[in-house]
Amino acid sequence: MKVLVTGAGGFLGRAVVAAAARAGHQVLAMVRPVSAGRGGFPAGVVEVAGDLRQRGAWCDALDDVDAVVHCAAAFGDLPSQLAGTVLATENLLAALPARLRRIIHVSSLSVYDFDAPRFGGVLDETTPLEAAPLRRDAYTQTKLIQERLVRDHAARAGTELVVVRPGAIYGPGKDWDAGTGLKAGRFDLIFAPFARMRLIHVDNCADAIVAALGVPLTGPLTVNLIDPEQPSHWRYHGLARRAGVATGIAIPVPYIAVLALGGSARLASKLFFRGRARLPELLDLPRQRVRWRPLRYPNARARAALGWRPRLDLTQGVATLPEAKG
Amino acid sequence: MSGPLSVAVVGCGAIAYEHLPFVASTPLARLAAVCDTSPALAAAAGERFGAGVVHTDVAAMLADVRPDIVHVLTPPHTHDAIVRQSLAAGAHVLCEKPMTGTERETAGLLAAADAAGRKLCESRNLLFNDSILLLRRMIAEGRFGRVTECDVLLSLDFLAGPFGDRNLSGPAVALPGGAIHDFLPHLVYLFQMLSGAGDACAVRGFLQNRTGNPRAGFDHLDALIDDGTVRGRLRIATDAYPEAFRVVVRGTEGTAEIDLYNPYLRYDAAPNVGKRAPFGQVANGRKLARAGWANLRNKIMQHGTMHGLPRMIEAIYRAILDGSPMPITPAEMIATARLCDRLVALGEPR
Repeated sequence: MKVLVTGAGGFLGRAVVAAAARAGHQVLAMVRPVSAGRGGFPAGVVEVAGDLRQRGAWCDALDDVDAVVHCAAAFGDLPSQLAGTVLATENLLAALPARLRRIIHVSSLSVYDFDAPRFGGVLDETTPLEAAPLRRDAYTQTKLIQERLVRDHAARAGTELVVVRPGAIYGPGKDWDAGTGLKAGRFDLIFAPFARMRLIHVDNCADAIVAALGVPLTGPLTVNLIDPEQPSHWRYHGLARRAGVATGIAIPVPYIAVLALGGSARLASKLFFRGRARLPELLDLPRQRVRWRPLRYPNARARAALGWRPRLDLTQGVATLPEAKG
Repeated sequence: MSGPLSVAVVGCGAIAYEHLPFVASTPLARLAAVCDTSPALAAAAGERFGAGVVHTDVAAMLADVRPDIVHVLTPPHTHDAIVRQSLAAGAHVLCEKPMTGTERETAGLLAAADAAGRKLCESRNLLFNDSILLLRRMIAEGRFGRVTECDVLLSLDFLAGPFGDRNLSGPAVALPGGAIHDFLPHLVYLFQMLSGAGDACAVRGFLQNRTGNPRAGFDHLDALIDDGTVRGRLRIATDAYPEAFRVVVRGTEGTAEIDLYNPYLRYDAAPNVGKRAPFGQVANGRKLARAGWANLRNKIMQHGTMHGLPRMIEAIYRAILDGSPMPITPAEMIATARLCDRLVALGEPR
């Protein structure tokens, strides 16, 4: 299958390119012009230089692709994400050939309403999407728009669609600060120390995405991608430290204390700032709950629908953390 | 005209998210439509701010909605056509700066507005910021005596964003002054408003591309302006840290300095000058400390550099509803465009 991977220069995109090439696919790796030509892709992978924010010569390279893995997305402020996630996706969809068979869209767990499950409950593919995105950050807002764009396009064009929603992707050089909520000098404050982290190793995630290229579909498929072992923040911090990640002295901060902090900040905002204060994630109740609320994250659908079996377990995955930094 | 005004917003990029919160919330207006060539951006803005309809074509939107006023918030090189379309459809127009790339084009659009019997206003939101309103009040009260100098310095690494992003092709701002042109009107209208400088100015200086970034066009300005009675220096730099937007006004009886990014006021005048200068410094120190707390509060309250924009839009809406003069006159727009032309003419071939 001839597969275009967008965001191929990124953390996940690069792993997807490698996994797809390993699986025998003919891969077009779309990278931004400034990053083009730096290599690092397996033999046989063809680079396509282009920026999805602008239509350009890259559109011509899509004529005979069979499938697209859309990893590209932006971070930063709302305008950056509107351009780099929403407009970019719109341009990509407009450039896709009519003969395209399948889209694998890389969405995010952040599109869910994390308040919907009960405390300690299950967040899975049946959990409602966030209905009030404005209470969340620009990332959630734009990922919701992006996912809707892709679904609408696939339905209109009759293209097969798999939407994958990975958890927190970790791997070489990307350690999510070893589960630390806040660094304070020599100390790492571990918020909600016993809440599970929804981690997935980048190679496991790439394998699942490549598996999604080949599975038979009867309609659009949505799967969450989270590794089976979901360590607590506390355990992950310890594992990362033992693996060689630079960490501080761990100080646990119970979830109730995190909420109390958020509640106090909200009260202060109402009392002193007419409720208009812009709070950081650390102090903003809705976003606190997204990040630290104790929940469980089953991956049964990904296993069943994709036949996915994670290649690396948690210990093996954590062992890769220091590779890029070292 | 009776309110509320029917408002259409054309262009749903970053600046639209500064205009739309006010448009969507003021009793003076009703957000009738948003329009963008990107259906997704138009839909996102329309959904977020409750627009009546969402369009991707300006002509279709104008015919469908017949708005009282159109906010033109698209890239500068597209302004001319959209402004003319909107005026021809019977709408007043508020256009983001820079409205055009030259004085001639500005004069052409103002003539089109005049012929259509509609009002056309180029955005000058900084004139409505707290610090600038304070300076204008102090000038009016004579606290500087006769203003003799006005310097404006913008230190901002705008190349770190889309203006300098080499992944994107073409010029960042398709105007003669390149990326500098996007900021230039701010500096020029502030200088003109605060100094009262006339048209007959001598202009010297540099407009350069110092970084070699081809998307920027020009990324550095350092210009001296002198009209014989008042003088000033306008600077835009991308390579000086931290970011600052400083305005200094000096007169025969006093001097003041402000920063639009982190507002404070330092004012030096009699009696705390000469041997009493240390008392003035203590007084200014206290003001600086208070400004620090106010800035902290402003950042928490999201009262940022764009806080003058809603005031400006409200003033424009009221002028349209009352039939009173616009807060920014055609003569002022022409004068700013003329001085911008002369500064752009400093550009050195790359």
